[in-house]
Amino acid sequence: MKRKKNSQGLLYWMKTYDGQKFYTSIIFLIIPVALLVMFTFIPAVNMVTYSFQDRDQFGINPEFVGFKNYVTIFTDPDYLITFKNSLYYLVGSFVQQALALLLASILCAKIRAKGLFKGVLFFPYLMNGVAVSIIFQRFFMKGQRGLSPEGTLNSVLGLFGIDPVMWFDPTRPALANCCLVFVSLWRYIGFDIIMYIGAIQSINPDLYEASDLDGANPWQRFRYIVFPSIKPIISLQLILAVKGAISVFEIPYIITAGNYGTSTFVIKTIETAFKKKSVGLASAMAVVLLIIIIIVTLIQKYFFRESDDEPRKSRRKGAN
Amino acid sequence: MKARRICAGAIALALSIGTLSAFSSCGNTGDSSKSEAKKVPDTISQGEIKDAFDAEGAKLEVLTNRTDRVNDGTLDAFTDAFEEAYNCEVQYVGYTDYAGDVATRMGTDDYGDVLMIPDDVKIEDLSSFFEPIGTYDELKDTYRWADKKMDSSKNVYGLAYGGTATGVLYNRAVWSEAGIETTPKTADEFIADLKQIAEKTEAIPYYTNYKDANWTITQWQSLVISASGNSGYENKLLTDKPELFAEDGGYYPVYKLMYDIFSDPALIEEDHINTEWESSKVWFGEGKIATMVMGSWAIGQFQEKAENPDDIGYMPVPITAADGKQYAETSADYCLGISKHSENKDLAKKYVEWFVKDSGFASNEGMIPTAADSELPDNLSEFKDAVLFEKDVTPDELLGKFDEIDKESGVGVWSGDTDNFKIKLAEAAFAGKGEDEFNKIISDVNKKWADAEAKVLG
Repeated sequence: MKRKKNSQGLLYWMKTYDGQKFYTSIIFLIIPVALLVMFTFIPAVNMVTYSFQDRDQFGINPEFVGFKNYVTIFTDPDYLITFKNSLYYLVGSFVQQALALLLASILCAKIRAKGLFKGVLFFPYLMNGVAVSIIFQRFFMKGQRGLSPEGTLNSVLGLFGIDPVMWFDPTRPALANCCLVFVSLWRYIGFDIIMYIGAIQSINPDLYEASDLDGANPWQRFRYIVFPSIKPIISLQLILAVKGAISVFEIPYIITAGNYGTSTFVIKTIETAFKKKSVGLASAMAVVLLIIIIIVTLIQKYFFRESDDEPRKSRRKGAN
Repeated sequence: MKARRICAGAIALALSIGTLSAFSSCGNTGDSSKSEAKKVPDTISQGEIKDAFDAEGAKLEVLTNRTDRVNDGTLDAFTDAFEEAYNCEVQYVGYTDYAGDVATRMGTDDYGDVLMIPDDVKIEDLSSFFEPIGTYDELKDTYRWADKKMDSSKNVYGLAYGGTATGVLYNRAVWSEAGIETTPKTADEFIADLKQIAEKTEAIPYYTNYKDANWTITQWQSLVISASGNSGYENKLLTDKPELFAEDGGYYPVYKLMYDIFSDPALIEEDHINTEWESSKVWFGEGKIATMVMGSWAIGQFQEKAENPDDIGYMPVPITAADGKQYAETSADYCLGISKHSENKDLAKKYVEWFVKDSGFASNEGMIPTAADSELPDNLSEFKDAVLFEKDVTPDELLGKFDEIDKESGVGVWSGDTDNFKIKLAEAAFAGKGEDEFNKIISDVNKKWADAEAKVLG
């Protein structure tokens, strides 16, 4: 069929529906594909090459060093500490999931001003990360006699007669990290709550009615109806939490600049590239990050292929 | 139908224009129309421009780190005379994070006509980026610090726009209120004075500006050569190969002093993560802060913010060298270089020579002018008892080796990243970990340095 039309020349083919469909899609695709290749794929491939080189930011006479950069990342204690710090965020995100689930269940119950609470809880997620960081910098401020007032948290504590606490204290890096994890929790919890609300609301109300008739209490209802129905969402969120924990960046970068033992993997990458000017090593770090993210994504994909009995829900996950 | 097409076309056009203008508005151009016209102060004399040629309206793009002077129009005002004499247009582009942004821009061929040479460019790479201005022998009698950007064949690629002396910034009013008559000569005296300030005044004796540690802490590094009392100390490190933190050298006393001050909570501010650099200038002028270690480049900025500029004093490094004298190193700030890819190299060269020698910009900033016959600025009056010297020229065979070892070892004497030994020292001091931790950190650095030295020097 096609061949017959082809015999009448390319021009004719261009006028057919098939031909138009073909070149229109090419024209529509060419710009986004060109942009994607130019700004994503080419730099990414270059980055992988750089990661095997000893290279400064000007890229003069780069020297091939094999896996030396990768060895450094996993042996040098200065770099290893960032993985340890990621654990704080990982633990924090488990707490965040539990809290979000709790709040979502409450918000799905019959309470007043539901919309308002949802809005209030979701609002931080809409705020820019830089703004959030600056707010919390003020929030945790210790204050300086004669120069600057104490921060919000310390003045509230002051009302109860508690002495101002130094939240970012070099003697206690764990405390400093926990404060940063709290900020990150505050910012992202709104999104999780909305995800859980969506999942909970998609449960068939008949099940609730049936459980009411059987005399189930709220905990039993949660344990045997809500939890099993939203299990895929919970596992998805936990996997995303791993991704989030390793790629934390702007909150610690702005609040502490990575000092006081609060450096994260991405902060360290930026410092290595633009302060220490070891672009090779930084590229290797970026590649490591990329690999971790790819592995986590593959686990996620695999996981959801297994339990893909609710296609509608998994599409929502995909949007994340 | 037709209307719809026109409409779609208009949207497409609007979008593409929007994108284009977004691209073209990148970069932090110094828009002189926004700032009020400023005049060159009467106290500054600009040198006469002789044998100027007509550049026929050529444009020079100058990249600078002085965003403050771009935005307030000072640079434009200083350049008017040059623009008139050569019939050209000089456009200043300021970068807040100069070293970082310009290094990235230097990955392309378009990095302005004249730019401050980022210190990360290795000496042996200068010729790949910059046009030689002259040979060292031609320039050394006219300009100070002509050797700073000189390669092994004695070509000079950059001239400093001004220089600074190393020392300590202090508030005269506060120090005299505490009853201190003479500036300290040794580290012990300095700490004793700070303690006296803590007791007798309300001021914070020493302000760390730790929030901006990535550069504020590097100010301590600039004291090292003065403290060693040896203008050839950097070369000595390479030839005699003592430990980097040898006790009779420059590094040990400086960083020990820093460690001791930072270890005593009474001497520094309480909340060092929330320091504010811009506000600290005001507080300093108000006498709420007594002391800071800063290069003399900072004097002008602090005086500007002070109610009484005379309160801002500058004292030599409070460390006495082994021979019983106090030394002060003068050193070049950024050097102006000419891009290898510039289309107006002759004009650019004239501009560099004029800017460093005749523009009067350095004196206006309270810096030491680059012209060899110029006088020291007033703000260095307290240096009369100290011996001023410039760092020795590095012999050919050692050229660039110091930086190479520095990079190879990862010590980073001039950087303030979070793994840097300065940050580790400061945080150990804040945490009150004491002498042992200090020794542990410096012996670790000594080892890294020695290993890299063995590798680089063979």
